[in-house]
Amino acid sequence: MEKGYLAIVLHAHLPYVRHPEHEFFLEEHWLFEALTETYLPLIDIFDKLIEDRVDFRITLSLSPTLLSMLLDPLLQGRYLRHLDKLLRLTEQEIERTRWQPEFHKLALLYHHRFQKARFLFADRYQKHLLQAFKRYQDLGVVELITCGATHGYLPLTSLYRSAVRAQVGTAVTLYRSVFGQNPKGFWLPECGYHPGDDEVLKEFHIKYFFVDTHGILFGSPRPKFGIFAPVYCRSGVACFGRDMESSKSVWSAIEGYPGDHNYRDFYRDIGYDLEFDYIRPYISPDGHRMNTGIKYFKITGETDEKAPYVPEAALKKAAEHAGNFMFNREKQAEHLERIMGRQPIVVAPYDAELFGHWWFEGPDWLNFLIRKIHYDQKAIKLITPSEYLKRYPKNQVMTPSLSSWGWKGYSEVWLEGSNDWIYRHLHKMTEKMIEMANAYKAPTALERRVLNQMARELLLAQSSDWAFILKTGTFVPYANKRIQDHAARFDRLYHDLKNHAVDEGLLSEIEGKDALFPQIDYRIYAS
Amino acid sequence: MRKKSRQAQTKKTGRTKSSRKVSAKKVSSKVKAAPRIPLLTRNIERDRRQSFRAKIDRLRRRLLILEHQSAEGKGERQLVREVAKIESEIQRLEERASFYPAPHKKLEESAFSFPSGYGDHKIVLLVRDPWWIHAYWEVNREVEERTLHAMREKGLSPQKSVLRVYDVTGIDFNGRNAHRFFDIGVSGLAKNWYIEVGEPNRDFIVDLGIVAHDGSFHLLCRSNRVTTPRFGMSEVVDEEWMTSEDDYWKLFGLSGGYGIGKSSLEMKEFFKKHLLEQVSSGGASGFASFFKMKEKERSFWLKVDCELIVYGATDPKASVSVQHQPIRLNPDGTFSLRYTLPDGKQEIKIEAKSPDEVETRRVSPIVTRQTV
Repeated sequence: MEKGYLAIVLHAHLPYVRHPEHEFFLEEHWLFEALTETYLPLIDIFDKLIEDRVDFRITLSLSPTLLSMLLDPLLQGRYLRHLDKLLRLTEQEIERTRWQPEFHKLALLYHHRFQKARFLFADRYQKHLLQAFKRYQDLGVVELITCGATHGYLPLTSLYRSAVRAQVGTAVTLYRSVFGQNPKGFWLPECGYHPGDDEVLKEFHIKYFFVDTHGILFGSPRPKFGIFAPVYCRSGVACFGRDMESSKSVWSAIEGYPGDHNYRDFYRDIGYDLEFDYIRPYISPDGHRMNTGIKYFKITGETDEKAPYVPEAALKKAAEHAGNFMFNREKQAEHLERIMGRQPIVVAPYDAELFGHWWFEGPDWLNFLIRKIHYDQKAIKLITPSEYLKRYPKNQVMTPSLSSWGWKGYSEVWLEGSNDWIYRHLHKMTEKMIEMANAYKAPTALERRVLNQMARELLLAQSSDWAFILKTGTFVPYANKRIQDHAARFDRLYHDLKNHAVDEGLLSEIEGKDALFPQIDYRIYAS
Repeated sequence: MRKKSRQAQTKKTGRTKSSRKVSAKKVSSKVKAAPRIPLLTRNIERDRRQSFRAKIDRLRRRLLILEHQSAEGKGERQLVREVAKIESEIQRLEERASFYPAPHKKLEESAFSFPSGYGDHKIVLLVRDPWWIHAYWEVNREVEERTLHAMREKGLSPQKSVLRVYDVTGIDFNGRNAHRFFDIGVSGLAKNWYIEVGEPNRDFIVDLGIVAHDGSFHLLCRSNRVTTPRFGMSEVVDEEWMTSEDDYWKLFGLSGGYGIGKSSLEMKEFFKKHLLEQVSSGGASGFASFFKMKEKERSFWLKVDCELIVYGATDPKASVSVQHQPIRLNPDGTFSLRYTLPDGKQEIKIEAKSPDEVETRRVSPIVTRQTV
């Protein structure tokens, strides 16, 4: 009998970036990079685990904006084009590095990775990766959950209950239409929890969500089992808290595994390193250098003199780190079970893009971890939150505390000097949306289209990503552009509707640009 | 207005009308003959449309000047003729421009700017963390004027705008029954403020108002109510899920990996530090890494590398190998290869066989790189 459970939760999210009006768009490469480096490698691992009959459990949050992009034919086509370009580049690289075996080997490695990605994406899954995830869910190894429709940060939205409802409801509707069932769990964007938001989750039959450690530790009444057992909010929705220890070993820049010197360096990319004319076809058409994903060096240490990456050594390290992580969880579970008198659950959530994109060997680490847990020990077992709730349906009732997993644990990342100006406008847009939803009880077909598009624009403007980018200081013009674009479109549609002067041509153009949430229903904003 | 005056002009001269008819006829025959413009030339279309529009605008301005001159009674007949000429030209251009219609009323998102105000009268509070709240507000001019007027009527002179921050924990606030309050003077230009309330787990309401010289407070608007989150262990204990303070801190320590046996105060400090180190989404990994640019290198550096380009040409149907590896020729028989060039001596063996495999040519350049 196992002593406790480990729930690995991966949160996969990218903001909705899709620009049909441009042939090349730099920010669309976020999706392409994440596909090649994170989503496809994870699919590859899950496929093989299933093939090898390894029993495992992963909870995977796919944000609705990411889901929408994975469903989008335009972006699917562009990704394929992007991959083909990368394959051409690696072919050239294989030639170019012929006299440098340490790099030649790596050029071959990247070439094979891109070929594998192409095979998975185009051949095995026919561009429909969601089929892969649906299959894992049907097999019971992956629990797919959803997230705020556009990753809106809810604690700064909670002033308007209907705005929270729109973020949750729109996400649930999309999930149902794609996966044919109701999502069991919900990933609060940035783990941002505002007491009472669980009532909205309840309306949509969500069973559980997650908060950061202090969300539960500082909740009231005092939690008996800390974060090692879920609690029920008064609404009846269960809440799981993040375990700090397991988080830290992966997240932490200082103590975390990803900083090991054998691992691949994230920054040295041939897009920046190689001679301009040679690399020119593979970077931004305006000549700005950018990442290609082909990186030949290892972290090496606190030095600019980076040594060539050695994949075998890195892989060995990943296996070692997986073993270490498992050992610590075993000890943790044994110890906790003694104190608690029941099997604890340790919840370890991570951004999915950490694995592969940032931490190149992350998917291998996860693969080793899952296999080791399956074959090498008996103290812990992987579990999903809904399975744990079935095993332990009786839990303490309490109100978690306002919290997030952002820097300093609250809302400061999204509410500070660089980005606080957006809220008065977002709130005003919300008020206008509510006003219109209340006014149009029986709209014509055209009016309904306008109202639904207004809802899309408002949701897109609410993405926590824009506020986050404004704070971090890179890609700022793009974040500003996006807030402005959605506000401008919203404003125009609002006034056209009010003046009974809807321009269908313009509406179609906007619908073509912000083409997500086909089943959206603006009436969700009605109060 | 412009249109009106033009009509007035045309009434004066019958000739204008007739000339317009003629040009319109010409144009209509052109309309039929005009080929449909393929999609790919949309941009050209747009440019033409814009250049026509620009010309039309120039002519219109000229027309206005002429109208102005005619009002002053200068050279009547000559003016009438020129006006007529311009009008028919405008007509012609407008009809040509209509070959290139705007698809619909465009929306220029980049021209949109957020209004500085919405005409609202309100103050809104948002919680930043257990110790700080954020307020933004907008004051309606009329309401402000009314308030100021009422103050003056009572012989009070306004001194400054203030935010009055009330601790209303557990209170149904009526404006006078707060536990305590403090004021923050704000300049008339400020539209938002970070307020250090300094107390977790309390309720706050903020009034924006004007303080008069006698110290009296005159309300402009009142905020929503917010609660700062608790920072620390709840005092409330559930009977069914009883836990002692010791046990609580024990589990707390375990969940943070701080170990057991620390005092609650120490734990809180540890936890604060932990939150500061929180990197999950404000930091370096995961999605955030998409926004990481290449790290700044040291202030001064020099990097040098060498590559070698080997190129040539032969019969397009010949077979060519470089270092015993067959290579593909361009359709015109040329080839170009690029290699990183490490230090040392490299002999590049190039061999071409004629299409009938009768003749063979060999060329082997030798290249030496030495980096000192």
